[in-house]
Amino acid sequence: MKKMIALLLAAMMVLGLAACGQKEAAPAASDSDLAYVQEKGTLIVGITDFAPMDYQENGEWVGFDADMAKAFAESLGVECQFVEINWDTKIMELDSKNLDCVWNGMTLTSEVTSAMECSNAYCNNAQVIVVPADVADQYADAESCKDLTFAVEAGSAGEAAVIDLGYNYVSVTDQASALMEVASGTSDAAVIDLLMAGAMIGEGTSYANLTHTAELTTEEYGVGFRKGSDLAAALNEFLSAAYADGSLRACAETYGVQDALIAQ
Amino acid sequence: MFATVISALNQGFLTTLALFLITLAGALPLGLLISFGSMSRFRPLKYVMRTIVWVFRGSPLLLQLFIIFYVPGELNHNIWAFSSGRFWAAAAAFILNYACYFSEIYRGGIESIPRGQDEAGLVLGMTKRQIFFKVKLMQLVRRIVPPMSNEIITLVKDTSLANSIALAEVIWAGKKFMKSDGLVWPLFFTGLYYLAFTGVLTLLFAWVEKKLSYYRV
Repeated sequence: MKKMIALLLAAMMVLGLAACGQKEAAPAASDSDLAYVQEKGTLIVGITDFAPMDYQENGEWVGFDADMAKAFAESLGVECQFVEINWDTKIMELDSKNLDCVWNGMTLTSEVTSAMECSNAYCNNAQVIVVPADVADQYADAESCKDLTFAVEAGSAGEAAVIDLGYNYVSVTDQASALMEVASGTSDAAVIDLLMAGAMIGEGTSYANLTHTAELTTEEYGVGFRKGSDLAAALNEFLSAAYADGSLRACAETYGVQDALIAQ
Repeated sequence: MFATVISALNQGFLTTLALFLITLAGALPLGLLISFGSMSRFRPLKYVMRTIVWVFRGSPLLLQLFIIFYVPGELNHNIWAFSSGRFWAAAAAFILNYACYFSEIYRGGIESIPRGQDEAGLVLGMTKRQIFFKVKLMQLVRRIVPPMSNEIITLVKDTSLANSIALAEVIWAGKKFMKSDGLVWPLFFTGLYYLAFTGVLTLLFAWVEKKLSYYRV
């Protein structure tokens, strides 16, 4: 009995090794990322639920970023697929080819541009402090907030801004969780994107009792591709064409972000 | 709104349930194989198996999920590049991890049966195979039910770790409402799903134990 099992296990291990060998024998990925995407016929776009850039309406992904991603995929002649990811694992998702790009209101920081091939900036943004509306007058600037505890999205530009200030903070998985921290009182304040703050908090939203005060840093949004990818150059061309024919502006107006648009 | 949330959570819970069932289907038999391997008298096999158990029990499941899902792609051989790739990567990590835990429970059960029974069987002219299947197996099953039920109930809750590789299970489904609608209660509500499911499992294991409690001494 035991010998049989030993044999079976040995056979399994040999098979496992053989399987590894086969994988290594597979042809190496093509040098051109553009060719790779066109060959497989899909552009896989990594997003989080982030109004007004990428959000779901009747089961379909819409938003300024989502609509432009669809148009870009169409211009390449491929199908656009959206995949929801955890924002802090975006670089691993790209490098492991589970995604082809990250197109989700991504702030171009030096970390981002060194780890990814980024497009030109297409949108302006700022990191703003969010506090409950009833105490907003006490915390009108960054200096007055120094004793507060902040909630920020892990790996976000907001986190970097709080670290620069040297304030107490806790990193949560996304910007919505940061807002929830403030709403439930587990953190005193949050730092999130201005564009998101415009859409998510204040009158008529789920966070009517929150408001945003000081701007900490201003910044620009770009699209991230795998390091060394030629898709970034292709997107830059696409963006300047879309800016020239007005379709970029028209799309921005649909989602109320036209004031933040950057000329291409 | 309540109906929308419930249907989204149900959808997520189906993924949780599928991950749970596939993990059990894979890990229960694989664990038995590993336990035989780690008790083998063939030394190299025994040490290889014990090393595997050490690696999978000794490192966090969260890390195993990341490694299994991302490392193949980082090495340019993304084996998960199909539409349910995230699910199967998670299933692979859970199966390997839980098989290692199960193998130790099996080993404990097998080794707890007194040697006298083997000797008695041999005296009666039974083969080792007959002794295992006819004498020891059912005693073994009875002894491992409580530790197994412990581990299986832990598995129900551990499936939530899969949301670290963006698998849309029930917690992910609950968190989504926080992002898109600013609703907090769906996340907390997912707790009821886990409680209901572990409640059913608890009753099931109590029943199994009762069924197996013949010739109790």
